[in-house]
Amino acid sequence: MGTWKVLDGNHAAAWGARLARAQVLPIYPITPQTEVATTLAEWVESGEMKAEYVTCEGEHSAMGIAGGASAAGARVFTTSASQGIVFMEEHIWIVAGQRLPIVMGIVNRAIANPGSLRSDHNDSLLQRDAGWLQFYCEDAQEVLDTCFQMYRIAEDKSVYLPAIFTWEGYVVGHTAMPVNVPDQEEVDAFLPPYKHERVFLEPERFVFEPVLRSVEESEEGALLMGTEAVFAMYQAQENAKKLAKEVNAEYGKRFGRTYGNGLIETYRAEDAEALILAMGSTVGTARVVVDKMRAEGKRIGVVKLRAFRPFPTEDLRDACMNARAIGIVERNRSPGAPYGGGIVATEVARALYPLKDRPQLIDFFVGLIGADIYTRDVEKIANKTLAAAQTGKAEKDVEWVQRVEKK
Amino acid sequence: MAEEVRLPGHGLCPGCGGAIAERIIFNTVGKNVILFGGGVCASGGTRLLQVPNYGLHLSGIGLGAVGITRALKVRGRTDIKVISMAGDGAASDIGLAKLSGAAERNENFIQFVMDNEAYMNTGIQRSSQTPWGAWTTTTPMGKKVGQKKNLPMIVALHGVPYVATASIAYPADFVAKIKKALDIEGYRYIHVFCPCPTGWRHDTSKSVEIARLAVLSGMFNLYEVEGGKVRITFKPKEHVPVGDYTKLQGRFGQLKPEDIAAMQSYVDVQWKNMLEIDGKYVY
Repeated sequence: MGTWKVLDGNHAAAWGARLARAQVLPIYPITPQTEVATTLAEWVESGEMKAEYVTCEGEHSAMGIAGGASAAGARVFTTSASQGIVFMEEHIWIVAGQRLPIVMGIVNRAIANPGSLRSDHNDSLLQRDAGWLQFYCEDAQEVLDTCFQMYRIAEDKSVYLPAIFTWEGYVVGHTAMPVNVPDQEEVDAFLPPYKHERVFLEPERFVFEPVLRSVEESEEGALLMGTEAVFAMYQAQENAKKLAKEVNAEYGKRFGRTYGNGLIETYRAEDAEALILAMGSTVGTARVVVDKMRAEGKRIGVVKLRAFRPFPTEDLRDACMNARAIGIVERNRSPGAPYGGGIVATEVARALYPLKDRPQLIDFFVGLIGADIYTRDVEKIANKTLAAAQTGKAEKDVEWVQRVEKK
Repeated sequence: MAEEVRLPGHGLCPGCGGAIAERIIFNTVGKNVILFGGGVCASGGTRLLQVPNYGLHLSGIGLGAVGITRALKVRGRTDIKVISMAGDGAASDIGLAKLSGAAERNENFIQFVMDNEAYMNTGIQRSSQTPWGAWTTTTPMGKKVGQKKNLPMIVALHGVPYVATASIAYPADFVAKIKKALDIEGYRYIHVFCPCPTGWRHDTSKSVEIARLAVLSGMFNLYEVEGGKVRITFKPKEHVPVGDYTKLQGRFGQLKPEDIAAMQSYVDVQWKNMLEIDGKYVY
């Protein structure tokens, strides 16, 4: 059942693309993704991986090439970070609206300015409106497993949306761990070949459509074509929610690993009065902090937000409804946002809004622009959240955990 | 000509040179083809095509074609031809890096550039293909800085197998070049001169005549660069004055006699240079 390899996140992603049998790889290198780009290039050149590698001239090109390749029937993998993601933004939107199931690994890196080579989540979160799925990986094993799952979900005819899976540069990208790498046959059984039923470029299958699709031919209908297309994308995201859970369960049966219910995972949260909500590698740190606090009798747990799109509204509500306070690890910026908070809190608040007896939300800015998140930072978050749960009143709605101390 | 690949009744401007060029292209390449294009006026006629087509936006020139050819290769479908169409704005300005990248990597498709010498789709703004002195909405006093960028030669100097210029007024020459390109592997580039009555301010019935005068005056030269070797494919017995070309177009309406004279000198030098490299290898 698979082979154990010592892999960092970047190499795990490369293995994911390889075993997923990605066929066209339009990739432009950018720190901290580089090893994914170069490893795949080595494998293609050596013939170990049967694919077309495109050493394109930039990330904007990479995603445009991805669109053409996917439309022409090839399974596509690409990867980028930070400035590269922003450079390809136009095509990120286009291919989603074109319903092309491209999979992209984002090696989280802060977007300038201020910038860094190191992590925060702005590059992937920025895509939350474009229609892509996005899943946050905690470690290298999850990176590998999630890659396969992304193709499986994205290529489903009830979805047909491109998918992002993320991992933080350096902390996950360059940190090695033992990773169980499934055999090719096992992956093949889980992931059938790519075949898009609606978008394909084949002269022999071409059907000439003299009228505009999807709406009746009327002036009003023509103007509402875009609305219908967007509505369909919302439906596809809802379908992805359901499918992600099924795929997670199936993955568990086949490979022995699951990730919560596929969308979220709770850790020691059942009777928790305080919860730490986090995405990505910080979840791991939160588990350690929570174990320590539980040993002291404190009722605190972790909610891991694995899927950000589709946002697991119902599951999150169920997981949070009995807690009295939720501390959100906010590893992104959105200056001017409500209460001066960040993106995750805004989305979580919306999800929890209908609850009669809502938990308090405290938004903790931490790990911004490449700052490392230490155990002590997560402990601060946990303690303040617990205090808010116990007193019934948080000190502040938004806390900045890491500030430069002025002497 | 082969069967019509595009149904009649396009919604482009009357007299559109691009529409004529498209018809020539599609009737020559046939139906076992995938088109990539976008952001050019002509994409307004894409709905009438009877071949599979994929589009991005202006700055994505060639990108979809790269993806398509690579996908076809990995899927074992190299029997299908891939062609890419873009305007001069995409090719010469906003997408130049893309154009260059595909050329440099010798990606396997034919890139057609429909040159109507400005960003016409957005309402006649200048491009680096706009000739000196021409009115556009962003050069209302006439383009004062720079001559028309020599894009075909720039592409040739990437070392690609085939580059050609073509004109709607010389369809036999155009068809021959397309056919030649279809039989070559690697990156092929055909730069097509397409008069635009709307942007050039000329009579809609005179598009072909103006295209012919462009060649006869030396304002646009017909040549190919095959394997690095230059060959002028049409040499006017005698050039007509540049003024014969400009006087038919409102976009040159502000030019004074000294401006026309300057244009004439420029054109004469360009022709002289062409004759010097005719038959020679540029790489």
